[in-house]
Amino acid sequence: MKTTRKSFPWGQFTRHALLILASLLMIYPLLWMMSSAFKLDSQIFSSMGLLPTEFNLDNFIDGWSALRVDFAVFYINSFVIAFLSVLGNLMACSLTAYAFTRLEFRFKKFWFALMLGTLMLPYHVTLVPQYILFSQLGWVNTILPLVVPKFLAVDAFFIFLMVQFFRGIPREIDEAATLDGCGPWRIYWRIMLPLSTPILATAAIFSFIWSYDDFLGPLIYLNDMQGWTVPLALRAFVDASGGESLYGELFAMSTLSLVPVFIVFLAFQNLIIRGVALGALKR
Amino acid sequence: MESTIKSPQENEDHTWRVRLLKIWRRNGPGYLFLLPWLIGFFGLTLGPAIASFYLSFTNYDLLEPARWTGLSNYKFAFFNDARLHKSLSVTFTYVMWSVPLRLSVALALAMVLDRSVRGVSFYRATFYLPSLLGASVAVSVLWRQIFGSEGLVNYLLLLTTGITGPSWVTHPDYALSTLIVLAVWQFGSPMIIFLAGLRQIPQDLYEASSMDGAGSLRQFYRITLPLLAPVIFFNLVLQTIEAFKTFTQAFIVSGGTGGPVDSTMFYSLYMYLEAFANFRMGYASALAWILMVIIGIFTSIAFLTSKYWVYYEDERR
Repeated sequence: MKTTRKSFPWGQFTRHALLILASLLMIYPLLWMMSSAFKLDSQIFSSMGLLPTEFNLDNFIDGWSALRVDFAVFYINSFVIAFLSVLGNLMACSLTAYAFTRLEFRFKKFWFALMLGTLMLPYHVTLVPQYILFSQLGWVNTILPLVVPKFLAVDAFFIFLMVQFFRGIPREIDEAATLDGCGPWRIYWRIMLPLSTPILATAAIFSFIWSYDDFLGPLIYLNDMQGWTVPLALRAFVDASGGESLYGELFAMSTLSLVPVFIVFLAFQNLIIRGVALGALKR
Repeated sequence: MESTIKSPQENEDHTWRVRLLKIWRRNGPGYLFLLPWLIGFFGLTLGPAIASFYLSFTNYDLLEPARWTGLSNYKFAFFNDARLHKSLSVTFTYVMWSVPLRLSVALALAMVLDRSVRGVSFYRATFYLPSLLGASVAVSVLWRQIFGSEGLVNYLLLLTTGITGPSWVTHPDYALSTLIVLAVWQFGSPMIIFLAGLRQIPQDLYEASSMDGAGSLRQFYRITLPLLAPVIFFNLVLQTIEAFKTFTQAFIVSGGTGGPVDSTMFYSLYMYLEAFANFRMGYASALAWILMVIIGIFTSIAFLTSKYWVYYEDERR
């Protein structure tokens, strides 16, 4: 609408050229790491090009078993924790959000205000006592401290997200169901959840990514190498590689560790971006 | 209904039971649904928060029982702990640079993307990707190598200017800057929020003002900025809080030490080391509460001053 002249759109052209340049600059470090993973160590820093001369898989093979424990174990640990976190967040947060939006009970406003208050609380405040609690329960070196809080809806952000969504679902639907004799559980399970798949998917995606990327939690609670997650293993790799001789393997394992998040991103791009626009930023 | 005659005692018992039943009918389901959250709230949030407040007045090393020391943790933090003061200055420097830079880049690119119709979703996705991956250990590892003595940056520097660069991540003057660059690189999520905000601005405002002869700079100051102010405000508060909490990047890039010479000793990292490397749980709790107050001050400054610079469309005067 802005330019009605028929001449070559120089403005559009330069804008796109600049945007493409900026995009390349943004993902160059990632592409460089990816291509370095396929290079010999001697080649990594002697070229800044992105295309390796040959696809050498040695870095992946050597890196996979470079630590005392195979990366397969780290991936299994990471996925188990991430899967249980997703499950816990979806169940507990949707139950809570349903109570806050659809059920009546005393002190509801009070609890809701407290829940919003926990959104503002930095994790630092609960970190030390939670550690003391979990270590007295004998849960250190298990996945329980990382997973059980998710089943108790500690991540208020997801409750908040679901409350916003549930409010948009017309009340007539569950009023009709109540007249048909449905109790709150049936309404929650048969009506609210099926109608909320977009927000449940968004919550599942973010909860997967955050749990998979989490570093501080595993760092504190998982001491035994058999129980480590992928980020912990990478960190140990950095310490072990000290010198430069292991760059290739380190890059190979780092690249590999980004793959699950990258796949989720490709598959659910629109949901993720909409989720961020809803305020799901955190980072 | 069931019995014809009741003793007063029985009757009272009955009404009491009816009342209980009524209370249950009215509140039971709600509280049942709320139960997981209530347990979590008391057991993992409120309880620990109170415990942490108590611990902040004690010495506690996990082995011996906590010993009450009054205000000594706070006194030490305020007057004697040089490392904490260094860490505060590092964190403030990081926040003061990374948040405005990140938001400016985000706003600039959001405005460019808002104008160009074709390929928006592609560019948006590309610019957002670093934000999504940026919190991972892998990216911090990559950063450590890029800015290392034989890293990518120095290679490019040597190639283009012939200068041999220092090892950025291990140089006390530059290490923090590499982390600021890392933060700015992840401008994607505020950019997406800005884009959503820009879409809300009615296009006819721009058309009308350009008919009145307003240039694009004037439009930016008179239309875009005021109308986008609530969104900028939202981003500013959230990004500031998040910047104060930064941990992983500093931990990985400095190898878990906050070095060189404490130049990347972020507040969260210092607290982590006090709690889990030195086992000073009481002191770490005091640090947590000091951070809580700092974040609270920043948030309330933003909220209190917001009425002077935030324009909400529905409150036209």
